[in-house]
Amino acid sequence: MTLRALGVGLLVPILATLLALLIADLGAASQVAVFMLAIVVAAVTGGLWAGVLAAALSSLSLLVVEDPDRVLRFDEPRDIVAAVVFLAVAAVVGFVVGNAADERDRASRREREARLLGHLSTQMLTGDVPDRVLDEFVSVLIEPFGLAACELVVTLDGQEMRALATDELERRGGPTEIVPVVVANIPLGTLVAERPPGRRAMNREERLLLEAATRQAAVALDRARLDARARLAQVDAETNQLRAAMFSSVTHDLKTPLASIKAGVTSLLDSSVAHDADQERELLTTILEETDRLHRLVNNILDLARIRAGALIPRRVPAAIDEIAESVVGRLRGRVNGVAIELQLAPDLPEVPVDPVQIDQVLTNLLENACRHSPRGRDVRVHVGSTLKAIRVRVADEGHGIPPEERELVFDAFYRGRENPESSGTGLGLAIAKAIVVAHGGRIWVEETAGGGTAVVFELPKEGQTA
Amino acid sequence: MKVLVVDDEPQIRRALRTSLEAHGYEVATVGTGDEGVLGAAQGSPDLVLLDLGLPDMDGTEVIRRIRAFSDVPVIILSVRESQTDKVAALDAGADDYVTKPFGMEELLARARATIRRVQPEEPAAPVLRFGELEVDLAKRLVTQSGEAVHLTPTEYALIEAMATNPGKLLTHQWLLRRVWGQGYGTETTYLRTYVRALRRKLGDDASAPDLIVTEPGVGYRWVGEPTS
Repeated sequence: MTLRALGVGLLVPILATLLALLIADLGAASQVAVFMLAIVVAAVTGGLWAGVLAAALSSLSLLVVEDPDRVLRFDEPRDIVAAVVFLAVAAVVGFVVGNAADERDRASRREREARLLGHLSTQMLTGDVPDRVLDEFVSVLIEPFGLAACELVVTLDGQEMRALATDELERRGGPTEIVPVVVANIPLGTLVAERPPGRRAMNREERLLLEAATRQAAVALDRARLDARARLAQVDAETNQLRAAMFSSVTHDLKTPLASIKAGVTSLLDSSVAHDADQERELLTTILEETDRLHRLVNNILDLARIRAGALIPRRVPAAIDEIAESVVGRLRGRVNGVAIELQLAPDLPEVPVDPVQIDQVLTNLLENACRHSPRGRDVRVHVGSTLKAIRVRVADEGHGIPPEERELVFDAFYRGRENPESSGTGLGLAIAKAIVVAHGGRIWVEETAGGGTAVVFELPKEGQTA
Repeated sequence: MKVLVVDDEPQIRRALRTSLEAHGYEVATVGTGDEGVLGAAQGSPDLVLLDLGLPDMDGTEVIRRIRAFSDVPVIILSVRESQTDKVAALDAGADDYVTKPFGMEELLARARATIRRVQPEEPAAPVLRFGELEVDLAKRLVTQSGEAVHLTPTEYALIEAMATNPGKLLTHQWLLRRVWGQGYGTETTYLRTYVRALRRKLGDDASAPDLIVTEPGVGYRWVGEPTS
């Protein structure tokens, strides 16, 4: 029985006795009603035990009030029966009502706790940024616990995290609870909950609830930590996979031309064989082609290495993209077989601050790609135009096109389209183009052309603009 | 015809020596900038092939030192990455550049063009002919297929600067100073506008040029074949 129940159980029957004495003229029935009301009131406000106590006291009191002369003289069987019956009725009423009131209190407290814990756990489990989740967590605790401040300090994987929430209307420095944050017997940190000065300290139930909430936080933090580790491991695995892909691709691509060159040269040097002029020329042509291929590949790999090392820094000078386009188209026209390159330039294009060598490289890569994927006899179109903030270059082919789901992937290093995985490209051209465009503050993307082919478009910001 | 090769890579020196000798040139090879400057002074070569990446001295510095006493044509052998070094070397007085790896054919063509320009077989003709195009230096008149091409004074100054230096890579800075004056050097927009106008009037397609080739970020080259 709590102090409160005791107080209510004593006070209410006393008040009822006084009231009963005041209305003695109205008769015994009214007095009985007053005591019954008192028992119900005591049970509702003080709970079960207050109700029972009030019932016991009221039954004694009632006898006194009815006839003060007979105080504590239960000599007549009638009195005893009446007293016992009243006590029984009063006890039942007090018990039932008090029990109901207790039940209601417990239910609403349980509901509040459940709501709080539910809220916390959804907050904590959805969050992938522990910092934000922690802030949310401490601020959620302020109101239901009547706190002036709540601070959580935890150390996760050697990194200390701290979250503090305060109720701005309250002063700090009142009764304080300190709850350890523990997961699987590993201490992660502490939660400090501070009430305003002058408020009572937390009772047992509140403390238990706070501990339960803190456990939720600890579990969620642990989960966040494991998630982060899993993500790191995944990135690691992807990097390894990429490295492996790069290694095998580079090995293959470097060794193939080298093999042809060595075969050709040793054949020419072989004094035991007499090559005729045609054979000699054919061998030499092969050597030349393979040397060019090797050269392109080495350039690509060097560019990629530069990108990876963060050393791809444009040396910007004011340059005319249309001039660069003319020069690249002029150079490639002689090199690509069976594909016509059409160049369209918008008039009066302004100069933009770019690295001409790098932009030349971007255009060369895009054009070589487009020519490789364009059927013989079809056109590759290059258009250089201008938007409000940028110069826009579009290289369109009449090939098979790229499915929407692959349009982002084509910019990944060593990605070769599903259509022709054995393509003669190095799988690096677009990755390098993208890195260069991005280093210039521009952007690059793939579009579908009206005829179902592919257009790669890139934009370079004009002077003083960011694209 | 004497060629001095300045390159620190023995393999390149050997390949150049073999190929150039096969084409009838007399070849001397050295591996450092110091030896290069010395060789240019003592051997009086007709052409210097200079690698920009020398162990002891920046290639631009080598050109500057050679230019202090000699007008010998210098062709730079450079890798793609050294674009700014290339422009600096051209502005320091180099005549042309060839990017490594290069084909011998290309190198020999550049070498011939450079030597021919420096040692004209006859005094500058008053009329330069490039197929159907004629530039009359005395009358300051340009005709194409016998019809006069109407050029502004600046356009004429530009075509004169380029046509009198056929095959040579002319940097933006050189052209601006030559046509607009000493105070100029960075106003590439002017240059671009006039080159475009000139191309239009001469009917030259920039992406398949017969007369003026653009070297992005560097300058222009007159590729019209002189005819007599």
